[in-house]
Amino acid sequence: MSSDDSYVESQVIMTTVKVVTPFVLTYGLFITFHGADAPGGGFQGGAVIGTVVLMIAFAFGIEPTREWLSNAAVVGLIAGGVVAFGAIGLASMALGGAFLQYDLLPIHHPVRYGIEGVEILGIAAIVSGTVIGLFFVTAAGFTAETLARPERSRVGTDQQRGETGGEE
Amino acid sequence: MITPIEATLLAFVLATALATALFCDVLSSIIVFAAYSLGMALVYTYLLAPDVALTEAAIGAGVTTILLLLTIAKTVRPPTDALFESVHVPGAVVMGAFALVLGAAVLPAMPAIGAESAPVWANPEVTQYYLENTYAETGVQNSVAAVLAAYRGFDTFGEAVVVFGAAVAVLLVLDREVFA
Repeated sequence: MSSDDSYVESQVIMTTVKVVTPFVLTYGLFITFHGADAPGGGFQGGAVIGTVVLMIAFAFGIEPTREWLSNAAVVGLIAGGVVAFGAIGLASMALGGAFLQYDLLPIHHPVRYGIEGVEILGIAAIVSGTVIGLFFVTAAGFTAETLARPERSRVGTDQQRGETGGEE
Repeated sequence: MITPIEATLLAFVLATALATALFCDVLSSIIVFAAYSLGMALVYTYLLAPDVALTEAAIGAGVTTILLLLTIAKTVRPPTDALFESVHVPGAVVMGAFALVLGAAVLPAMPAIGAESAPVWANPEVTQYYLENTYAETGVQNSVAAVLAAYRGFDTFGEAVVVFGAAVAVLLVLDREVFA
């Protein structure tokens, strides 16, 4: 069973998503980047940015979207966010301060841009990646075959895609 | 006293919450649950908590709804003719008594919104400190962001790692190694 077996091309939904998506993405980026001075921040903005991919998947089919956005990109977002957050925290420790003691960072306005960095590079990346990843993993679902033969789920990405396509 | 807007919002939230629990059809439950989240986002906005409202709108009404819809698309939507679940009488009695105790004893004891006796003002030196010194010390105007990322940054790092851990846990439970 492929994930897009119930996908029906809808002119209305595709057109709406084409028109609305740039604005939603801009709004998500605005919430993320402006979170220090206005309501919002990395968590909310990251969720909205992740929703953009979900909208695209609903309009153009989940399977093509999964192929367009590779597993490496999703994992890179999630793990990269954790690494970025930790690295900013550990950088100030390396400079002799406490964890996340921004004022030691050798940048312009260290506290302000430290907070922005944690929100944008850390939290927004983790949340948007997790939203997209949960969506893809739920969409892939379970088939009776993967339950009966768990080794199927341990094969590499490319082989997995080939098998998912051939399961219908 | 409660304003008409507040009363309408609260009635809407209560009605959608009740409908979520009572609808027999899973799809109907998911849709009124999204409406409930939208109502809660409006309540949070009305209570001057826009950060929480944004989260509720994005996660509660948006992402959760899509994931639940995807779940019934991938599993089964049990066929049903009845509109509402039949009410389990003993359960309804217990929950009714619980709601009665909450409404009669607990709610009147809570401080009014914005009251001086509210817990948020119980330590005025802490709250006032953040409100007065955030901009001077961090250069950001949203003191919520400053508390999250600067004053309580280590907690937030833990929370971010929890989200990361949730993503890993989902992969483990589903016995997969890739997202895409």
